[in-house]
Amino acid sequence: MTSASVPAAAAARRPAGRGYGFVAGLVAVAAIGSALPLLVGSALFLTLMTQAAINAILATGVGFLVRQNGSVSFGHAAFFGIAAYVVALTLKHAVMPAELAAIIAILLPTVLAFALGLVIVRIVGVAFSMLTLAVAQALYELLLKWRELANGDDGMAIAFPARVFGVDMATFQQPHSMFLICWLILMAVILGLWLLARSRFGTLTLAIRENEERARFIGYTTVVPRALIYAVSAAVAALGGLLFVLYNGFVSPGTLHWSLSGEALIMAIIGGPRLVWGPALGAVIFFFIKNAAGDFTDHWPAVIGTVLILVTVLMPRGVGGMLVRLAGRVGGRRSS
Amino acid sequence: MIAPGWAIEGVGLTRRFGGFAALDGVSIAVPPGEIRGLIGPNGAGKSTLMDVLSGRAQSWSGTVRLGGVDISRLTAVERRRAGLARSFQRTNIFPDLGIGEQIRLAAATAERDNSEEVMAELGLAALADRRAADVSYGDQRRLDLALALVGRPRVLLLDEPAAGLSMSESLTLAGILRDLAGRWGVTVLLVEHDMDVIFSICSRVTVLHLGKILADGTPDEIRRVPEVVTAYLGSTVE
Ligand SMILES: Nc1ncnc2c1ncn2[C@@H]1O[C@H](COP(=O)(O)OP(=O)(O)OP(=O)(O)O)[C@@H](O)[C@H]1O
Ligand SMILES: [Mg+2]
Repeated sequence: MTSASVPAAAAARRPAGRGYGFVAGLVAVAAIGSALPLLVGSALFLTLMTQAAINAILATGVGFLVRQNGSVSFGHAAFFGIAAYVVALTLKHAVMPAELAAIIAILLPTVLAFALGLVIVRIVGVAFSMLTLAVAQALYELLLKWRELANGDDGMAIAFPARVFGVDMATFQQPHSMFLICWLILMAVILGLWLLARSRFGTLTLAIRENEERARFIGYTTVVPRALIYAVSAAVAALGGLLFVLYNGFVSPGTLHWSLSGEALIMAIIGGPRLVWGPALGAVIFFFIKNAAGDFTDHWPAVIGTVLILVTVLMPRGVGGMLVRLAGRVGGRRSS
Repeated sequence: MIAPGWAIEGVGLTRRFGGFAALDGVSIAVPPGEIRGLIGPNGAGKSTLMDVLSGRAQSWSGTVRLGGVDISRLTAVERRRAGLARSFQRTNIFPDLGIGEQIRLAAATAERDNSEEVMAELGLAALADRRAADVSYGDQRRLDLALALVGRPRVLLLDEPAAGLSMSESLTLAGILRDLAGRWGVTVLLVEHDMDVIFSICSRVTVLHLGKILADGTPDEIRRVPEVVTAYLGSTVE
């Protein structure tokens, strides 16, 4: 519609340094992460980091929805879990090759989210969050209770072929290599969402988030753009779910449980959802706290909760937002 | 151009809130290129009329035509895309977006992007990279106007664009408005409490009172209608 007519000058008029700085920073973080398996021998540490990277992808999806739509999803684990179950069920019944299953594992939740989004993005605030929670919990119950379909609470082990996408399955299931894959995919997701956020579509959705009524009075329908953002954030969550099954070779209803949705949201808030990369940072912080606190107490959720409270009170824009402010102060520019 | 019809026309417009008719069978028609003033005391129904014409009102009856075409069933989005734009009595902008960013976004739904021109004319060019929330109230009022004016709509509904501005700011804004409307051939329906603004730029004035049209005429005629003087102008006119 209008995106094709974006004048090149509009992009060029933005402060140029910031864009290059972001990409350079992202490349640097990607490189540092990639070096990690070489520097750190500990399989335990890399296991932790792989889980963190997979959850970071889920959190990035949750955070992007907050950033662009201003909506808080309590049910994004549903898309993560659907992706995982699509792979498990299609491979169990051998209805299609694993590669196709992987693609459908992402497409199906995306399409479902778009359709659901057309209805629920009109609902604002806590009611939206509750609806996402209700939908996700309904799916969770379905997979839990319908034992013939998905083996209920026992979960399903997935019989992958020896190679998927031409890659040896072992590559996906060993932390050394899988961490690298997940980390690079996380970086690609962040880059993609960052580009989307800077596009005219990104600006439009921010405008709708800011002032839905005025967006209509400057000539934009507001439901479809928000449903599209919801679908994109679901696609990102589904990608996380796909990596999860590739890595674990196993899926249980827990992948759809509200506690996973809640953790992803907590990660996003800790890191700062106003930044595309904030939730990923939050995920890494979350896993380190969980691991460190888990060493000496079973009550690690209480520690996370305390951190969450401290962050929301002391850093309303999250740890990422605070880092950006510090960097701005050190750089001595961008006072506004 | 010999105007064969009306740029914007409302026929028998009624809008009720419970038993109370905020608009009671109002008919109004503005020919192309005119700047029409719409005045009336607080609660007269001026904003309600703007809402009905622009597609903001939920339930109402009557007919709205834009350039002779019935747009009664169009949504606000469709009306804007058909060339009917509006500003708001209470500043209605995108606080967290850049000023240039939001004006360009508004321009993108029009056939021609004249955002640079609008920013220059309204004195917003120097503020293009600033966040809307960070600029002065006067700048925000002009941004609200810019969001309506960009893309050269055929008809512009302005609900107190100068509300809260100083006397000199109001008159400057009125001058810019008259200039742009004339140059671009935009038809304007202007709600304004400041009679200096109204009488300086409007060729005709419609007076609304308790949801009905009380009078309609040139500024000079309006000044002489006794009910207008008592109902609205009061002691400000000798
Ligand atoms: N949403 C609403 N619910 C109930 N009554 C309303 C609503 N909106 C407006 N009204 C009433 O309708 C009448 C007309 O209001 P409107 O805002 O159109 O007046 P106005 O002429 O624009 O006044 P002002 O000069 O104060 O802006 C008022 O009596 C107002 O109280
Ligand atoms: Mg009003």
